[in-house]
Amino acid sequence: MAILPMKRIHIYALLEDRKQILELLQQFGTVQVEDDLQEDEFFSKKDLTDEKLKLDRDITMVSEALAVLNDYAPEEKSMFDSLKGKQELSFADFEELSAKYHEIFKTASNIKNLDRQIAESTAAMYKLQLQIDTISPWGRLDIPLQFQGTNSTAALIGTLPRELSHEDILIQLADLVPEVEGLHLDIISADHQQTCIFVLCSKKQESLVEAALRSIGFARPAVASGDKAPAIQKAEWEEEYENHRKAINESKTAIFSFTDSRGELQFLSDCLSMRMERLETSEHLLESKRIIVISGYILEREAEALTSALYNKFLLYMELSDPSENEDFPILLQNSKFSEPVEGVLKSFSLPGKGEIDPTSIFAFFYYILFGLMFSDAGYGLLMAIVCGICLRKFPKMENNMQKTLRMFFFCGLSTLFWGAVFGSWFGNAVLVISTTFFNNPVSLDPLWFEPTQDPMRMLVFSMGVGVVHLFAGLAANIKQSAKNKQYMAVLYDAGFWYMLIGGLIVLALSSEKFIEILNLNFIIPENIGKTAGIIAAIGAAGIVLTAGRESRNWFKRILKGLYGLYNVSGYLSDILSYSRLLALGLATGAIATVINEMAAMGGTSIGGVILFVIVFIAGHAVNIGINLLGAYVHTNRLTFVEFFGKFYEGGGSEFMPLGINTKYYKIKEELKS
Amino acid sequence: MSDWNWGVLIALSGGILAALLSGIGSAIGVGKAGDAAAGAVTEDPSLFGKVLILQLLPGTQGIYGLLVAFLTLTQIGIMGGSSDFSLVKGLMYFVSCLPMAFVGLWSALRQSKVSISSIALVTKRPDQSGKAIIFPAMVETYAILALLISILCITGVSGLNV
Repeated sequence: MAILPMKRIHIYALLEDRKQILELLQQFGTVQVEDDLQEDEFFSKKDLTDEKLKLDRDITMVSEALAVLNDYAPEEKSMFDSLKGKQELSFADFEELSAKYHEIFKTASNIKNLDRQIAESTAAMYKLQLQIDTISPWGRLDIPLQFQGTNSTAALIGTLPRELSHEDILIQLADLVPEVEGLHLDIISADHQQTCIFVLCSKKQESLVEAALRSIGFARPAVASGDKAPAIQKAEWEEEYENHRKAINESKTAIFSFTDSRGELQFLSDCLSMRMERLETSEHLLESKRIIVISGYILEREAEALTSALYNKFLLYMELSDPSENEDFPILLQNSKFSEPVEGVLKSFSLPGKGEIDPTSIFAFFYYILFGLMFSDAGYGLLMAIVCGICLRKFPKMENNMQKTLRMFFFCGLSTLFWGAVFGSWFGNAVLVISTTFFNNPVSLDPLWFEPTQDPMRMLVFSMGVGVVHLFAGLAANIKQSAKNKQYMAVLYDAGFWYMLIGGLIVLALSSEKFIEILNLNFIIPENIGKTAGIIAAIGAAGIVLTAGRESRNWFKRILKGLYGLYNVSGYLSDILSYSRLLALGLATGAIATVINEMAAMGGTSIGGVILFVIVFIAGHAVNIGINLLGAYVHTNRLTFVEFFGKFYEGGGSEFMPLGINTKYYKIKEELKS
Repeated sequence: MSDWNWGVLIALSGGILAALLSGIGSAIGVGKAGDAAAGAVTEDPSLFGKVLILQLLPGTQGIYGLLVAFLTLTQIGIMGGSSDFSLVKGLMYFVSCLPMAFVGLWSALRQSKVSISSIALVTKRPDQSGKAIIFPAMVETYAILALLISILCITGVSGLNV
């Protein structure tokens, strides 16, 4: 319907009221604070980087605590949660929770600490496990691993690679150091990776023996057992390991016990992000020693309510004024229930720029029609409308954007249902296939108009006809826009002449027998009307040549530019041809649905055949819906953005983003405002 | 071997070629775009829905190819009905399928490149996804035009008396 009018607002208030005023503005959610004030010797903007950093740390802490809580005590979620919308919080609850602010904050830091303890214990357990694994093979040794020997003997404790027998080692040593005698060798344990040995020799020969052992791969053990035997050390470590495990379990239980605080933590997270928004807004304000100045935009219809609220509560002065003509004020759209859903599509293109109209209500109607023509199966459309309808009904509190999207697909579904019925496609030819295969009694649902697969030429002509109407509606929007900007001559130059030229050419073509024959039409426009149309088209063309380059003062340049403008007629031709995708995508849906039905019916009438039918039918149509839904969505957008918007709309506006309650978990009820 | 057999064989190869080349193009295109999409989701998992659409865009050519092949099959009697027609008519079916076969292949490959660029765009500016979808959709126009001419030709040829 329209772009909502905005007012400029300036508030001059006492510094001491800053916090309360910003809170009030946030609760109202109708003012977008601008950063357009100039600093001078009295007024300056406050640097809040430190506060922001600190707040940011808090926000991170709380969201990490929530993440930890979700890790150890996952929230029960269902598929429909995203449709339910945010939980509402009454004023009383809000107050109560706000009072518990510090307590909740403590909970968050407790959860964080517990999580850190778990991480530390896990790391310690990992290290202990390694040590236990290394010391295990030494279990049989009853002296400490670092035992060096006695006064006259030397002990060599360590490992040799591979599995070796007592004999193997002794033979190798005899080979290497035949002079050594009286050597004692004990094999503590052996597996295919290593052999743990204990060697005792006389102190004098220690270096000889050790060198010999090292040459066959001897290495001292990688762990130490202090003054204890390895088995005792191992037992101690195992106990330590067990203690860590218990500690982790305790921490987990402790975190789990905070499950009930999840809601409070989410509230805290919301509170902090609201505060962050206020803080970011504060940076745009001008401050002197006593006074603050706020500058921004406010929705015109909300101005009065805010004014009285502000004057009631605070000592301040405020100014409201209309934005100047060439000012780019932020855009907020308001449309009827029917066209509002496609606002998101417009937003994904661009919001109306300076001097442009809100095209939503014009393109919404065509959007649904084009979507329906491309998806074009009554069964699919019905399914889509029912699913969206039920969701909308069952979850009235869902997020606004989600609701708009569902409503858009609801209307698209209705349109698809309509066009599917017109062209006789109900899950493709499902009725015919089922009745023939299972009941031997062919029944077919006749199309209300005709079947595009039987007569594609007719469908092509119809598609292009829809295209012409769509493009002409775009030109009409151009007229509306020019009129709004009081450029009345542009109405004639940019739209009127084109109507004459394109409309004239079409009528002229329809009066030619050859053309009628190609298009396979069953009517023809009388020759004299065709001639008149030709003359009108010629006038239009002449008008375009004369006016398309009107900003040039030089007549030669102007005519050249005009001729170039006329060349744009080829653009119209390709625009109209572009609507042939209505036929192509419409046929694709129906033809693939038919293939699915015929494949499904291949199993015949046996029980196995029926089961096959059901499986193939459901899976096949689900895939077909997915693919064609995507195709219809993308190409409806394309026709809207390129062909339709190309006639009048550029966009470039920025969205109205008031200081408001943009929370993640809770919705604070309206009553807070009062 | 009698004449009509050859006609059916040639017509069939046309339909198969359309499905084959378009399918290959789409498979490669969706594959490449999928690599880029997976990368984008690593950066920001919330982009999944947006980049999924972009990944799927080069996939439609394969479906158009399937459609042309299917139409050909129904016209030449492979899916039931009469397949009694001349060699010339078979050749006509064959050439009717060529626009879809070639344009399907090439446009899917080109479209995947645009899709990849658009995925990069969405990664940097998630709010611009509406525009990002339009760029690859522009390439698809030519696949649609090819599909259109193939369909018109096939249905037209079936009405001819040669």
